[in-house]
Amino acid sequence: MSQRIEIVSAGTKRDLGRSVGATAILDMSRIAGVVDYRPEELVFTAKAATLLSEFEAMLAARNQMAGFEPADWAPLFGAAAGKQTLAGVVAADVCGPRRVKYGGVRDHVIGCRFINGAGELIRAGGPVIKNVTGFDIPKLMCGAFGTLGVLTELTFRVLPRPQNAATLVLRDCAPHAGLAALIAAAQLPVEASGLAYCPHDTTPYSGAFIRVDGTTAAVSEKLGLLKQQFHALDFTMLDAVETDQLFRTIGDGSVIGADGDIWRLCVPPAAAAKAIARAGADVWYADWGGALLWLRMPATAQSAEKLRAIAAELGGHATLFRASAEARSTIGVFEPEPPVRAGLTKALKQAFDPHNILNPGRMFPYL
Amino acid sequence: MIDLPAPDRQVIARRDQIAAALKAIVPDGVASDPASLRAFDRDALTAYAQLPLVCVLPATAEQVSAVLKFAQREGLRVVPRGAGTSLSGGALPLADGILLGLSRMNRILELDYDNRCVVVQPGVTNAAVTRAVQARGYYYAPDPSSQIACTIGGNVAENSGGIHCLKYGLTTHNLMGVELVLINGERLRIGGKFAGAGGLDLLGIICGSEGLLGIVTEATLRILPRPPVTRTLLIAFSGASAAGRCVAGIIAAGIIPAALEFMDRRCIDAVERFCAPGYPPDAEAILIAELDGMPAEVADQCRDLSGIAGQCGATAIRGCADEAERARVWSGRKAAFGAMGRLKPDMLCMDGTIPRAALPQMLEKISALSDHYGLICCNVFHAGDGNLHPLIVFDCMKEGELERAEAFGADILKLCVEMGGVLTGEHGVGVEKKALMGEMFSDADLNQQQRLKCAFDAASQLNPGKVFPVLHACVELGRMHVRDGRVPFGNLPRM
Ligand SMILES: Cc1cc2nc3c(=O)[nH]c(=O)nc-3n(C[C@H](O)[C@H](O)[C@H](O)COP(=O)(O)OP(=O)(O)OC[C@H]3O[C@@H](n4cnc5c(N)ncnc54)[C@H](O)[C@@H]3O)c2cc1C
Repeated sequence: MSQRIEIVSAGTKRDLGRSVGATAILDMSRIAGVVDYRPEELVFTAKAATLLSEFEAMLAARNQMAGFEPADWAPLFGAAAGKQTLAGVVAADVCGPRRVKYGGVRDHVIGCRFINGAGELIRAGGPVIKNVTGFDIPKLMCGAFGTLGVLTELTFRVLPRPQNAATLVLRDCAPHAGLAALIAAAQLPVEASGLAYCPHDTTPYSGAFIRVDGTTAAVSEKLGLLKQQFHALDFTMLDAVETDQLFRTIGDGSVIGADGDIWRLCVPPAAAAKAIARAGADVWYADWGGALLWLRMPATAQSAEKLRAIAAELGGHATLFRASAEARSTIGVFEPEPPVRAGLTKALKQAFDPHNILNPGRMFPYL
Repeated sequence: MIDLPAPDRQVIARRDQIAAALKAIVPDGVASDPASLRAFDRDALTAYAQLPLVCVLPATAEQVSAVLKFAQREGLRVVPRGAGTSLSGGALPLADGILLGLSRMNRILELDYDNRCVVVQPGVTNAAVTRAVQARGYYYAPDPSSQIACTIGGNVAENSGGIHCLKYGLTTHNLMGVELVLINGERLRIGGKFAGAGGLDLLGIICGSEGLLGIVTEATLRILPRPPVTRTLLIAFSGASAAGRCVAGIIAAGIIPAALEFMDRRCIDAVERFCAPGYPPDAEAILIAELDGMPAEVADQCRDLSGIAGQCGATAIRGCADEAERARVWSGRKAAFGAMGRLKPDMLCMDGTIPRAALPQMLEKISALSDHYGLICCNVFHAGDGNLHPLIVFDCMKEGELERAEAFGADILKLCVEMGGVLTGEHGVGVEKKALMGEMFSDADLNQQQRLKCAFDAASQLNPGKVFPVLHACVELGRMHVRDGRVPFGNLPRM
């Protein structure tokens, strides 16, 4: 019998994904520390379990930031905020609202070192932004939940922090109008860096939120364009500090609250209104311009069937984000794969972890 | 010199039979006579040519699937091809291989402005995508200089970049989904008009896989609203290192221009003679910077960028007054490869990436190597992201010049790795750089990559002989894992 190793760094997201039924825990938390930060190259390399907070503080000190705006989901799972590590963020694909402008975690991890299931130390990618030498394995590691390798070092591309930011809030709009406003905003050349919608009775925020950033001059120009577009609607504005708080709340999922099961449904943005009407969640909100729907819905087979039918019809996928361990194992967490794709996933698992020892079963029974 | 897998004589002997079988699948798209095959015997790495066994040009994904099923059943090798503009020999045919051309699949299937994407077949050219959406004020950001010819299928396979990828990313950052046909003929949709993967990020490894994992038969691409204002600055320097300092200064100041291109004295001269873009005659180096966005934002950034250039000793800073002048400035940059033909008949285009800070040092070393090899090298770079394109010009007909040019190129790429960079920024490994992969990766790294390949194509039928310096059989790679993870002779370098 081979071991079933659960890879843990800070352990803030152990309840995300299926449970591994580990026979051993590999505690990676000591594999930490910054290796190389070159602000003028926009490149940052650190050992995998370096705290995200340390990474963010170092970037902030040089007026830079991570383009994918990592969220902190720990409180959603009853863990303490501020403890998560780079490896955890990468493996669980923890990406915030800024994805609409800069892309996801996978678009910012340019290199990595990891240990495969045969115990070999592998390097992939590199320390420069533009690189097509060999397969883009760093991308494959993003969102793989440690099922393909134990990350030991990560290299990120980082970005200059915009001088200023602001949010245009469209108050009092019904879901259909609010989601349509996000689509309209995405079509304007304002490069919105946040496009979210929270329905009427959501606390602490409700309305359609359009974030813009850039130089102070750029922000006021972009707001001008947005006001012109939405002049017929009732709007207000949030300054940089309020904007920051708002979008942190949006990314962290705390809008949903501490109780209840959570699903995340990804659909084409223009199909969001339809998806919401069909899902019938009692609490919900939209991020990524409508491409990501956070839903409070029971972790039952019926919910799964309904959401997966919506995803199949409109295009997309549903994830059972927060639920009991039992529900996660029986209902499944990630979108079930059609046979051809499952075949490839199994073959990839075999290629990286031939003995099936690294977080086995975390994503699918076979991965 | 490159070595390709030894051709199988028995397969070559069955050419007519194989052509007939392919004709049954694609009645109007099979070529097997030498005269027709000649058109496909090389890509833009022109020093290497090889007639394929047969060429098939399917018109539908069903036909692609049937061709691959046939190839798998018969154990035949397949080389995918788009427009054949690869600079690394990615589409170089095999004597016993089917050349699978996707150029006939050239329809734009859907323009979806609400979801900000388009769906296209693989043979659509890069430029055609922007052309299809520009009337509505949109464009497709990745813009390789070959964009009027190269196909989206080729762009996906090479993860192509372009002048504007500093701000807007490479193909991989603008690719939302593909339909992929596997070697067994099965068709698979990965991604689409939605975000995220919902499983492993297969799209991430497909993009840039150089035709080794599957055939792309459809792509969903992100389109962007065109920025209201674009300003182009031409900045001259009396030395290359001042230009290098300026690049570092711009990035350090938090400015990410849409494009930031560099040309050295030799390249400026060649381009001036070729198409007279009007670059300052006394410049030792120039930068072309492009800023786009909202009007006041662009004005601010132009001012800041000009200030930095001034501090770095720029001898002239010229803003393009109108669209015509802008087009003229860019015409020189875009003609750089073509202009080399005036210097010598043949050219090798290198493609390493280095940390930006190493630019001045790298230029000095290239200049020393140029003297050493007695060959001219013109430098044009995507300076903003450290992606170099040293252009080595030579004459194939002169005894030994090709070999010297290749050795010179290899030295440049090794230097890139030494300076903390990589072998290829956007052109791919292909056959051209495969022998150098060991400079960057250990045996274990390369074996891991090959095992990934095996997951898609266990018999190595898709584009074999590309990317990897040594092609291991998949069973051989698998065998390393026997005995509970204890690799035999674990302390010896493997294979
Ligand atoms: C003058 C010139 C300028 C260039 N400028 C740039 C530049 O600025 N930036 C840049 O990145 N590149 C540049 N290139 C390189 C080249 O244009 C790109 O690599 C391009 O993406 C190749 O596209 P293609 O259709 O010609 O593909 P091909 O050359 O036909 O094929 C390239 C690779 O893709 C594979 N392939 C093709 N189609 C498919 C498919 N449908 N499915 C799976 N695999 C497939 C082939 O097997 C091969 O490995 C330039 C080339 C030239 C000649």
